[in-house]
Amino acid sequence: MKNIRNFSVIAHIDHGKSTLSDRMIQLCGGVTDREFKDQLLDNMDIERERGITIKSQTICLPFTAADGQEYALNLVDTPGHVDFSYEVSRALAACEGALLLIDAAQGVEAQTLANLYLAMENDLEIIPVINKIDLPAAEPDKVAEEIEEDLGLDGEVIRKCSAKTGVGVQEILETIVTHLPPPEGDPDKPLEALIFDASYDPYRGTVISVRIINGTLKPGEQILFMHNKTEYRVEEVGQFYLTRTPQKSLSAGQVGYIIAGVKNVADTKPGDTITHKDAPCPAPLPGFQEVQQVVFSSIYPISTDEYEDLATALEKLKLNDAALTFQKDTSAALGFGFRCGFLGLLHLEVVQERLEREFDIPLILTVPSVRYQITLQDDTELTVENPSHFPDPGAIARIEEPFIKATILIPERYMGVVMTLCMERRGENTNYHYPMPGRIEFTCELPLAEVIYDFYDKLKSVTQGYGSFDYELIDYRPSDLVKLDILVNSEKVDALSQLTHRDRSRERGLKACESLKEEIPRQMFKIAIQAAIGGNIVARTNVAALRKDVTAKCYGGDISRKRKLLEKQKAGKKRMKTVGNVEIPQSAFLSVLKSEQ
Amino acid sequence: MSDFGLYLHIPFCLKKCPYCSFYSLEGRMDLVERYVQAINTQLRFCAEAYRNHLRPMTSIFFGGGTPTLLPAAALSRLLSKCLERFSCADEAEISIEVNPATVDRSDLAVLRQAGFNRLSIGVQSLQDAELRQLGRPHTVADAVDTVRWARTAGFENINLDLMYGLSGQGIQTWKTTLEHALELQPTHLSIYELTIEAGTPFARMEEQGTLFLPDEDTVLLMLEETQQLLMQAGLQRYEISNYAQPGYQCRHNINYWQNGEYLGLGAGAVAFFNKTRFTAIANAEQFCARLEKGQEVWMEKEKLDREAAFRETVIMGLRMTAGVSLAALTDHFDLNAESYYSDTLHRLIRQGMVRIVQGRLQLTAQGFLLANTVMAELV
Ligand SMILES: Nc1nc2c(ncn2[C@@H]2O[C@H](COP(=O)(O)OP(=O)(O)O)[C@@H](O)[C@H]2O)c(=O)[nH]1
Ligand code: SF4
Ligand SMILES: [Mg+2]
Repeated sequence: MKNIRNFSVIAHIDHGKSTLSDRMIQLCGGVTDREFKDQLLDNMDIERERGITIKSQTICLPFTAADGQEYALNLVDTPGHVDFSYEVSRALAACEGALLLIDAAQGVEAQTLANLYLAMENDLEIIPVINKIDLPAAEPDKVAEEIEEDLGLDGEVIRKCSAKTGVGVQEILETIVTHLPPPEGDPDKPLEALIFDASYDPYRGTVISVRIINGTLKPGEQILFMHNKTEYRVEEVGQFYLTRTPQKSLSAGQVGYIIAGVKNVADTKPGDTITHKDAPCPAPLPGFQEVQQVVFSSIYPISTDEYEDLATALEKLKLNDAALTFQKDTSAALGFGFRCGFLGLLHLEVVQERLEREFDIPLILTVPSVRYQITLQDDTELTVENPSHFPDPGAIARIEEPFIKATILIPERYMGVVMTLCMERRGENTNYHYPMPGRIEFTCELPLAEVIYDFYDKLKSVTQGYGSFDYELIDYRPSDLVKLDILVNSEKVDALSQLTHRDRSRERGLKACESLKEEIPRQMFKIAIQAAIGGNIVARTNVAALRKDVTAKCYGGDISRKRKLLEKQKAGKKRMKTVGNVEIPQSAFLSVLKSEQ
Repeated sequence: MSDFGLYLHIPFCLKKCPYCSFYSLEGRMDLVERYVQAINTQLRFCAEAYRNHLRPMTSIFFGGGTPTLLPAAALSRLLSKCLERFSCADEAEISIEVNPATVDRSDLAVLRQAGFNRLSIGVQSLQDAELRQLGRPHTVADAVDTVRWARTAGFENINLDLMYGLSGQGIQTWKTTLEHALELQPTHLSIYELTIEAGTPFARMEEQGTLFLPDEDTVLLMLEETQQLLMQAGLQRYEISNYAQPGYQCRHNINYWQNGEYLGLGAGAVAFFNKTRFTAIANAEQFCARLEKGQEVWMEKEKLDREAAFRETVIMGLRMTAGVSLAALTDHFDLNAESYYSDTLHRLIRQGMVRIVQGRLQLTAQGFLLANTVMAELV
């Protein structure tokens, strides 16, 4: 056990986490050059493009240190977004230490801090690493000062490197060995294995990522998932090298995987404890939470005959994404689709992109909603997260909406703008303190509905990227909710309806009208766009009629090309939804969800 | 028997105009001799190979590029080669494009003598500042001279190409240009709205915001003025961008819009017969090389199925004010346009975009402004 180190790399986006991970993998001989594909750990296309890690990935690096001994360095990569902060905390709980990576030219930034906090909550030993020292604009000494003074970390441990050129990376690996503690735990105690991730393998079913805290696990043994209260027989255990490598056993201190005939990823819960059925540990490991869907939106295929394909695609996605939920939904404007639940807006976007990219199904999403609790006059209670199920306002006695406690970390100078933003979003009970000089940790209770909309984008923009944000659900509170409808040439587009607080409805209506105006192409006639509550128009705008759309020249040599262009235009129309006689492109539906930036 | 055209493409230009996306070569005069040779080979080959598909030519059109970069004598020889190889209908229309400042009095006489009976002059503008902006290597005076010389050379049927919607152009300057053009008494005018084509220097300027085109209202007004002025002058609009005195519509181009048959010679040229559209390689050097080696020059052959060909014929026909004859469509494709398009057509009629007049489907005035939108429904 003393030759194991479990660690994670945490960083503000773009400070070089993926590059450094790749470099370490390469140095440890984990990959041949042929196999080396930049940013190995982010293996979904979307992750690579957006530079966000969505699912955790783990890799075991065999390393011969200067002391001549062989070490197993387990690198646990973590998702990097607040939607997944619970998943991050579980992944960090599997580690003893973390590299806190900081860009030598950018210095400490918001996510550096947020991630540092998460690591500290999990009692991780931190090695600050200053990256990109090869850059002309690098100021490693200044950054080192920030690390010591502002973050209060030990200056002695700071390492400097260039993940790009590889300078200093060997030394980082040495420091992991010398500075991070080996895992503790007793291989002879009852089994306690922490689930921190799971992925789906079409041949083997669910592959569960675990950290063994205590005990030893072997194939053939009967195991119990303590929260799920389900039992399985272990088929295989092993470690993640470049590929899964089966082992005879996994024991205390190790990070590895279990295959145990678990059909669906959804049957495992991150944070759950696995123990032996016959000799269980006394209590599950601390920190478990049920994954909660907080954002709901309906997904429709643009072309109604792709409904079956969409159903299949969602089933497939669900195999690997336990946090996604879905059930049938219908819309007058859009036909058949699915009402889906997500961890947050990023999760929603990721699912949408994967459906379009991996399954090639063009989609329309409806305005995301939270889940409301409604009590009717006759005392029946219901939960509503779909505007089309919103009861007749006359029948409603009380509505409650979910509230969160937001924790926002910012440089002091942004206090004013952040306070304003929170107040605009119906924030309550604000509070703050100074965790370090010049930094404010600001807390505020906010309706979740105000946060899922575009809060994070707004926060980033008012704080020029320096604001970091985390939240937890706290309770339900009374709310004055209305249903806002959108009418296009007097026809209601049900898929564009949204539930919103009365005080915010006019603004939302205006914004929706403006976004639609931007996205709906000019057509042969004028198009009126209105936002209404009940029969009351609260906002309106127009798309002027198209006045000129004609190709000046078309002779013998142009006919074919011209026809193909028109055919393309025609195909483009097919991708639009016709409501009344107005053609509404997919982008228009999406624009209503997006913040103005 | 319906028309059959012959198009001959000469892809050379003095200088590439910054708005032009045609296939043409700047400053490759070294290729000319080889190219003419290649065309002769192609002529011989086509006359032989397509013997069964060809009919007497009702129109011949030498276009470019700038055909008149070739010596008038060479053009005359090319035409006589064409006339040797292919039979020609009586009173065939034989056009050639000329750019001002590339021909003189005697060249024009030679061309007329050789049998060309229609000139299409690339005037583009009658304002020197605009010509400079358009990167045209000639002046207003050159254009006026060319028209005068053409008349003396015996050309009666003369078209002028003009452009509107130019950077900095106002209604008044456009009107002045038009009036000036009418004073030259052309039998035909091709009037194009400047279109910014992808990949051209103008497209880059537009992207960088350094091209200041008139707004939509102004451009629409220019079009309206154009129609009025030309109507008074006795030139009727017969296609989106083409106006002519009675009896002077361009037969060659009408054949395109009627989706008629034609042979195309030269690099990048297109031919259409036997329900097939052939496109020649758009590279003069390779075009020559292929012919020298006795290889095919067609890079693409397109044969549409009956319905697609029908729809193509409809949209092309709609470019003309006369529209398309429903009976002719039925004859040709055995499809009834009214039932074929049913709801879409009725909606377009209701929306005032198209109409059916005396058995012909036509765009309305409103439909002409939104022709692409309408055609995208019918294609
Ligand atoms: N010059 C330089 N660029 C680097 C270095 N490390 C990473 N980068 C670049 O910084 C960008 C972000 O790196 P990435 O590893 O994707 O960051 P992540 O978002 O933290 O995973 C990429 O363009 C990298 O090529 C370094 O040491 N030097
Ligand atoms: S002369 Fe005609 S073909 Fe040649 S570049 Fe100019 S516009 Fe294009
Ligand atoms: Mg990354």
